[in-house]
Amino acid sequence: MPRHSFWSGLAVIGFALLALNWVIPNYAGVNPLAQMPPDLVPRIASWIMLVSGIIVVIQATVEMVRAGEKPVSLDIDWPDLGWKLWPFAYVAVGIYFLTFLKVTYVGAPLIAGMLFLLGERRWYILIGCSIAPVILLYFLSVYLMRVGVI
Amino acid sequence: MDFSIVGAAIGEALTLSSFIGIGGGVLLGYIIGVIPGLSRSVAIAIAIPLTFYMTPYIAISFLIGLSKGTAAGSAVSAILLNAPGEASSAATSLDGYPMAKQGKPKTALQIGLIASVAGDILATIILIFVAIPFARVALLFGPYEMAAILAFALVFIAGLSGGNLFKGLAAGGLGILLGTIGLDNQTGLPRMTFGFPELMEGMPLIAVAIGTLALSEMFVQSERLRKERATMAVKLEHRPDDHITWPILRMITPTILRGTGIGTFVGALPGLGPSVGSFMSYGMAQKASKTPEKFGKGEPRGIAAAESADNAVIPAALIPLFGLGIPGNVSAALLIGAFAIHGITVGPLLLRDEPELLYSIFAGMIVASFIMLALGWFGLMVFAQITRVPAHVVIPIVIFFCLAGMMLQGYGAFGLIILIAFAALGFLMKKYDYSFVTFLVAFIITPMLELNLRQSIILSRGDWMILLNRPIALFFIFCTLVALAMLAYRTVTVGKPAAPAPARGQTETTAHQERVTKETNP
Repeated sequence: MPRHSFWSGLAVIGFALLALNWVIPNYAGVNPLAQMPPDLVPRIASWIMLVSGIIVVIQATVEMVRAGEKPVSLDIDWPDLGWKLWPFAYVAVGIYFLTFLKVTYVGAPLIAGMLFLLGERRWYILIGCSIAPVILLYFLSVYLMRVGVI
Repeated sequence: MDFSIVGAAIGEALTLSSFIGIGGGVLLGYIIGVIPGLSRSVAIAIAIPLTFYMTPYIAISFLIGLSKGTAAGSAVSAILLNAPGEASSAATSLDGYPMAKQGKPKTALQIGLIASVAGDILATIILIFVAIPFARVALLFGPYEMAAILAFALVFIAGLSGGNLFKGLAAGGLGILLGTIGLDNQTGLPRMTFGFPELMEGMPLIAVAIGTLALSEMFVQSERLRKERATMAVKLEHRPDDHITWPILRMITPTILRGTGIGTFVGALPGLGPSVGSFMSYGMAQKASKTPEKFGKGEPRGIAAAESADNAVIPAALIPLFGLGIPGNVSAALLIGAFAIHGITVGPLLLRDEPELLYSIFAGMIVASFIMLALGWFGLMVFAQITRVPAHVVIPIVIFFCLAGMMLQGYGAFGLIILIAFAALGFLMKKYDYSFVTFLVAFIITPMLELNLRQSIILSRGDWMILLNRPIALFFIFCTLVALAMLAYRTVTVGKPAAPAPARGQTETTAHQERVTKETNP
């Protein structure tokens, strides 16, 4: 879809400009004595992104003009958006717990919760599918890899 | 060639530990391949942490076995479910599913298996005979040549791995930018680490690979679940007439040989991938047939053409990897990461520094092919049952193993945050059609590209005229510019990608399938 290409192209341009004007000058390092400056490759990469992003935006604009499409649409499918976002939020919450709990302990409720949210209601599937991978991980980490409970 | 090394390599490939490692890889690959939506690269990304405590030979053979197993396993779901495990198996379902619906699912699966194994073994033999001379020549290359070849490979992959060339280049640029994070080798200065000591060694490859490939794919799959839940599985029953026969085998043999040739050629070129190989082989088999109207209605040669080419691509993709150190696709790029984790530099130097390991890997690949045949033949009924595992059960388990893989590597909370960030990036790239293949390959080869570029600049003292004395480097620079111009012209004028997009699940493969069916059956 040209609208998607338009906005994603703008995002690429924005990121490339951010890299060229702030990230690379401040964080890529400078050494005037080095024959190849440390920021040369990051700069080349950013320029590739910038030029490519501009071309993507131009292409998308031409396509939108031809199709009579507007760059902004208020026709947002909120349930669809919610369905796209909840797995990220779920995993992010899981990662929060993993900062102070071991994955072996959090694993079973993490799997069971997601199974439930994805529509599984059979108790034996919920229990079996959430416990079996954790047992597998336990044997893998403790007995095969010998790194202890992770 | 030192035959004592070859003998030792064959001996190592035939040990019990080798059989367990390779067999485990093939079995795991088969199971993952059967499950629709779990691709080869997802399987390798998740499995890399499992190889940390294996010996380099077992680890690499395990991953190559896994790769082969997924290719063969994806045919099972393509034939029984009409939902290919990978986009490359979509061509298999064109004839495999109709044949299964006609009451011959076992015959279709056996044809697919034999074509897979034959294509795989023949391509592995070609790999052995091509990669070694290739590597010997590549050993003569200097930094100028390597930098030019890497630049050419990146442009080629960006243009041919699907989608818009400029989106591919943008993805490649991002991969290069992120690949430079960490300590600069020459000056020792931290680059773009933002004060995080965890980033001194660079962005963790496992987090980038698992996030971009596996975790993001699970998010894509969970989104798709909302619309697609029903399956149309064909049951595998015991029927006396449902098995492959000699006349069928004789009929498909030339098709398998042709498919292997096409798959090997396509696999050896960076960026094209197995989807192009299998569909090209299918189209050529149909054109060569005296009864092209039978294709798409359960024709055995259709299955054989697609599967032989699909499986031939995997060993062939290792030709540029072992010969030049350039990954032709994501799976090969991930293998570079796996080699690096075990302290091995893949490429022509492998032949010079560790020939035993290289020959052992080749021998292990042949062993993997035979294990694949045995597992596929005797485990057909069991693998067919796996197709009934619903996607909503697979997704949380794979997400769990993605998180566990990061914890196994010891990155902790920082690694997990990087993981989810790259999962979001991978999700967006897939949604907006930016080539994650180019991104990942660029990310992985950036240290090599930068090293060769730096050596070239230091050796030439900034004098570009020195390139006039390096005809091979000059040739590849010329090829890069020509490829860039041609691909850009094609993208701008025609508005179509030069090659179909890579595996991204059923919806795309079905669209792909429809497009190819229209093209091959006008």
